[in-house]
Amino acid sequence: MAKTPDPERLEILQGTLDMLILRTLQWGPCHGHGIGQAISQQSDDLLKIETGSLYPALHRLEKRGWLKSKWGISEANHKAKYYELTAPGKAQLLRERDRWSQLVNVMGRIMNPAAGTEE
Amino acid sequence: MRPEDRELDDEIRGHLALEVQQRIDRGEDPETARLNALRQFGYVPRMREEMRRVWYSRWFDMAEALVQEMRVGLRSLLRAKGLAATVVITLALGIGANAAIFSVVRGVLMRPLVNRGEDLLVYIGEAKQAGGVEETTFSVPEVKDFRAGVPSIEKFGEFSTIDFTMNGLGEPRVVHAGVVNGEFFDVMGLKPALGRLIEPSDDGLNAAGVAVLTYRFWTNTFNSDPSVIGKVIRLDKGNATVIGVLEPSIPYPAETEIIANMIASPHHMGAMMITLRVHRMTQLFGRLKPEAALESVRAELNTVHATMVREHPESYSKRAAQAQMNVSKLRDQIAAPARTILLLLLAAAGIVFIIACSNVANLILARSVRREGELAVRAALGASKGALRRTLLAESLVLCGAGAALGVLLARPMMSLVAQFAARFSVRALEVTVDSTLLWVGVSLAMIAAVLLAYVPKLPASGSSTAPSLASGSIRITPGTNRRLRVFATTQIAFSFVMLAGAATLLATLISMQTAQTGLDMRQVLVADLPAPSLGLATEQEVAFYQEMTRRIGELPGVDGVSLGATVPWRDKGLGSVAFSADGFAPANGEELPRARIRIVSSGFFEVLGVPMYAGRDFNAGDRRDSEPVVIVTKSFADRMFAGGDAINRKMWWVDPFFGPKPTPRRIIGIVSDVDDQNVVRGSVMAVYHPLPQFGMAGRLFVHASGDPYALVPSIARIVRSMSATQPFERAKTLEDVRTEVLAPQRINAFVSIGFAGVALLIAVVGVAGVLAFGVSARTREFGVRLAIGSTPADLLKGVLSEGVVIVSIGIAAGAAFGYAFAGIAASYFDSMRMPGVGSLLGAAGVLVSAAVAASLMPAARASRVDVLQALRSE
Repeated sequence: MAKTPDPERLEILQGTLDMLILRTLQWGPCHGHGIGQAISQQSDDLLKIETGSLYPALHRLEKRGWLKSKWGISEANHKAKYYELTAPGKAQLLRERDRWSQLVNVMGRIMNPAAGTEE
Repeated sequence: MRPEDRELDDEIRGHLALEVQQRIDRGEDPETARLNALRQFGYVPRMREEMRRVWYSRWFDMAEALVQEMRVGLRSLLRAKGLAATVVITLALGIGANAAIFSVVRGVLMRPLVNRGEDLLVYIGEAKQAGGVEETTFSVPEVKDFRAGVPSIEKFGEFSTIDFTMNGLGEPRVVHAGVVNGEFFDVMGLKPALGRLIEPSDDGLNAAGVAVLTYRFWTNTFNSDPSVIGKVIRLDKGNATVIGVLEPSIPYPAETEIIANMIASPHHMGAMMITLRVHRMTQLFGRLKPEAALESVRAELNTVHATMVREHPESYSKRAAQAQMNVSKLRDQIAAPARTILLLLLAAAGIVFIIACSNVANLILARSVRREGELAVRAALGASKGALRRTLLAESLVLCGAGAALGVLLARPMMSLVAQFAARFSVRALEVTVDSTLLWVGVSLAMIAAVLLAYVPKLPASGSSTAPSLASGSIRITPGTNRRLRVFATTQIAFSFVMLAGAATLLATLISMQTAQTGLDMRQVLVADLPAPSLGLATEQEVAFYQEMTRRIGELPGVDGVSLGATVPWRDKGLGSVAFSADGFAPANGEELPRARIRIVSSGFFEVLGVPMYAGRDFNAGDRRDSEPVVIVTKSFADRMFAGGDAINRKMWWVDPFFGPKPTPRRIIGIVSDVDDQNVVRGSVMAVYHPLPQFGMAGRLFVHASGDPYALVPSIARIVRSMSATQPFERAKTLEDVRTEVLAPQRINAFVSIGFAGVALLIAVVGVAGVLAFGVSARTREFGVRLAIGSTPADLLKGVLSEGVVIVSIGIAAGAAFGYAFAGIAASYFDSMRMPGVGSLLGAAGVLVSAAVAASLMPAARASRVDVLQALRSE
């Protein structure tokens, strides 16, 4: 039952989903469906978030205290759980973003050594 | 469904609703939109699984880590098989012994009885007086008074024991019987297994004699044959119909084979039984009214008792008049005698467990020191203290788990051994079965041990002086570790010494009892039960019958002498001690009359048993029923009553209501050496021997054989049978074997305590050997250096050996001090507590020292064989 990989789509990097979720919630409270949609849209559909990873990630982040949740009524006029960034969550987002840009920087230097030495 | 699951469902539904809405907005028709949304969402159960790991992540992490650690632990233990095996066996012994004894303690002391409504069942007796014996039986007139005066007890059950010669059911034989009133079984809450039990309609003079068989007797002797019901049996001279079989129940208040109603026992219908207030042979039980409190019952009993003493002063001795009545739950009464011994056993098992644990702690400590390098490396790589502790915990869990499993297996046979032992003190132990508590006790002990053991080794302090351990792979033994190892080893020796000294004391007691001088010819005298028909005075014909029987036995080849008596030494309880007075004896003011044992013998008795006569003559054919009453007394009797004078031809008489108001004076015609037929270790004995025709009946045969006494048994049995088909002839034994038989309890005591001490010793020796072996392997380099600079291997050998001896000596000293203090405390609780003799102490110390030297030999030899070059190169 192996899935045929979609050549158009990028596999999400291990450990970056949490950061994407935190980032998305910076705009304000949202439900799981909306978070998934937002990430896809912002990546021009190149990143697709599996619900099977999205919801465990949301619950994990909530458990760590970076998110909090409350029930509300969605656009589909149905009960839905809205997630919201907490203060520690905001701090975590800043940390992750720094780490991410560092990583990108380092990776870039290794992958394109010429660009690195010129600086 | 848990709330988390319900919430997740709601969340999923919310997600799907949004997705469907979106797709419909995009122009899909509702049905397709729903299907697509579901397809896109993915497999829900897998997500739920995933969520669980998030929700319960702590538990998942811990369990996973522990399983991982345990796998690692198992592998590393498999590399140290010797150590693992020692630890597992040591723990198994400790846990097994504890679980076994705990099960018995629980079964005997804490479990309710099977009897219906056992909560209302009480036992009535006198309260124990300081230093005295309490009366546990009552006479028929006393029982009548209690019935009338104690309203809090709804019903009374009466039980008395008597032996009958039973005919009409198999071989003629003596049966132990209980005689009960009609309410007894109702009070005790027992049911029949077959037929019916004795009922109130079986009371009274017009009832017919009936008997109930106990379950064990029915199954063992009659192979559970239901046709025994309705048979008529002869009990002594009366008839009784077998009406039923009692359900299996604990043999209480006495181990009996049949239980009969009053009318079936001629003795119980006799005038003496019914009218004599001092003829006390009935044990009394009661069923309380549901609202009655024990306190109020006790008060009522005491009121009745006080009235009885006031109205019948002649029937109560000074002691009996002062006695207080006691009433206790039957359950407690049955368990009471076993309490002390079980608690002692529990203490012994506890000590074994302490020794086992300290030994295991020792081995684990030694092992963890060897692993200091490994732990230091892990600490340096960032493993937290918690992680290291978890490694240790996982390993000790594996060890203790294996130990507990083996221990639970061991516990079953150990428990049946302990139960048999405890059954001698409380019949309840017979019904103890292995229950699940055994398992739980074992497992919880193992868990306690595992956690304790995981905290024994010291972890490398994070960040500090890990450098030396990292620098070399070899073992560095720190003074602290060494001290701890020695403390554990010393503890084991100390406790082992306490147990060995205890066992040695019991063994010494047993040996001294087994070999004590009894003043009797132990090997050549054959004794047998030849029960006489009744307790009353024998008729002329009966006396003639037994005289003829002894005459014919005396003519058998190989028989030196034959006589009759009433008491087989040690095996029979005898007739008891009775107050008496004698010529010229005036008791000092307030002094109670002296007491002497009543014994009945035929002529030739003393010669057959090898008892020397000091003065006077033996009984002879001239001492008939109608001739002058005569007696023979023991040396102690003569010395006490006629100090310095000659006792011969003086007179003595029994002073007891039993003998009527006008005592018969009896002339003393002989003095014999003291014979103590109640205690295996002889004390001075006041006893008065009566000639058979003048006093009751004698039902014991004594034969002095010139050759093998047992060779005579078949011919004697033939003579008895040919003279009377209904005369039982049973339990033929030499005196030596009777003594061995009655000492069986002491032997079991000694056996059990030696078993415990042996286990303790074994564990302690393993412990000492382990400590020394560890020390030697840690000091290989040091030994190499010492050899290199001129020490001889013999010096090293001596050094290690003396180290072992030092550990043992300190342990023995500590054990002696602890034991002395403990014995002092114990002595204030248990009357029979005895301090061990010097011999036993020295013996125990000797065993320990030689065991320790033997244990040190192997490591010492290894130290002396250290290869200098290799040792120096090892770092």
